[in-house]
Amino acid sequence: MAGDMLKYRSCKKAMEIKGHYQFSKAYQAKLDEAIEIDPTYDYPYWAKSIAYLKSGDFVTWKKLIDKAVEYNPEDRLGYRGWCRYQFFRDYKGAIEDIEEFDRLVDYDIGQSQNGMYHLNIAKGLCYSAIGEKDRAIDIIEEQIRLNEEDDFIGAYDYIHLGVLYLETGEFEKALKIFEKQSAYNELAESKYYMALTLRKLAKIAESKIALENARKLYLNGRKMFDFYTHPMDKIYLEDIDSELKSLE
Amino acid sequence: MRRSYFAIIIICLVLWSCQEETTRKKEYLRWVGDIEQNDEIDEAEFKICNGDENILQYFNLSKGAVYKGEKSRIIDLFASDYKPVTGKNESGFIRIRFVVNCEGKPGRYRVLQSDENYQEKEFDEEIISQLLGITKSIEKWEVLDRDGFPVDYYMYLIFKIKDGRILEILP
Repeated sequence: MAGDMLKYRSCKKAMEIKGHYQFSKAYQAKLDEAIEIDPTYDYPYWAKSIAYLKSGDFVTWKKLIDKAVEYNPEDRLGYRGWCRYQFFRDYKGAIEDIEEFDRLVDYDIGQSQNGMYHLNIAKGLCYSAIGEKDRAIDIIEEQIRLNEEDDFIGAYDYIHLGVLYLETGEFEKALKIFEKQSAYNELAESKYYMALTLRKLAKIAESKIALENARKLYLNGRKMFDFYTHPMDKIYLEDIDSELKSLE
Repeated sequence: MRRSYFAIIIICLVLWSCQEETTRKKEYLRWVGDIEQNDEIDEAEFKICNGDENILQYFNLSKGAVYKGEKSRIIDLFASDYKPVTGKNESGFIRIRFVVNCEGKPGRYRVLQSDENYQEKEFDEEIISQLLGITKSIEKWEVLDRDGFPVDYYMYLIFKIKDGRILEILP
């Protein structure tokens, strides 16, 4: 009971951050006071950590988020795993966190903090990045199947799976999934990777058309985007242009 | 007797300095990560246009991380100019953070380093000097504006390093 009372008081203090910017002195100082009241309450550590994460201070961020995870792994592990992927491309660390979270709970582990991916898709991307392509495909295929059942597809889910098919030589599968992405959410990346796949299939004229479409989409802002960093499999105009040039 | 007084004074000074240290730890600048001008290491001619109190973060403008000529140019630059320092088992993260002023000019560079487990460490000087040198060679960054007014903003590059090689550049 005494512990709950302390947490309540700490929580009340922490709520005083309302109206203050995450980076500000007032926001950070209020949370320090909340931690002083109850050093075992995870929320203030988590809330403090955000500004350090966004400013790229991985040292301070990790110290704070580790405390939050220590006191409330169920609420903070999945988040830490996602951040390790999104901000620092710490693939192995992200996999460890997401898998530990999955073992800890008996419900769906849910979405990434920014809502772009199911955490299993993020985990699949991490496996892809460390070279475990088949494992990544299995994970992402299964999660997409579940997402389709719920009619809740991530904006870039099909692109990532298509890129994996392309990388593993499954060209027909890749084409189908890029078409699916185009129908769902048309992006320059979809057409660009479609062009690479068509080239592999020696369909040069079609590849060129896909690249020209990719270029138009890119210039119209229809491209992968993240407010803080670049999404995996994102392309740049230079990629499209050098591919076009190589087809000339 | 005089020795006792002397000892008491020393103890008080130590306690006072510890207290100061504790208090100092809780003193924040305006925003987390603010970089103040340090005349010993920063170029005197680098100017903030709208005052230190108005420097934003790159993501405050909702355009993501913006690079002049896109990020691919930054990746190409480091791929061509950075010489890997291998065989010293140097792995982890290095962040170079700086301010870009309203004219797109950068300054006030600061370096943060950690191992792969986010524990602070110092990388081989050859790695740091190369990364810093190449970053400083980028003389012009994107000019970002808010409601049509060019702003000053914080930008950073994080280098993911494995055995002295650059694996990835963020954000």
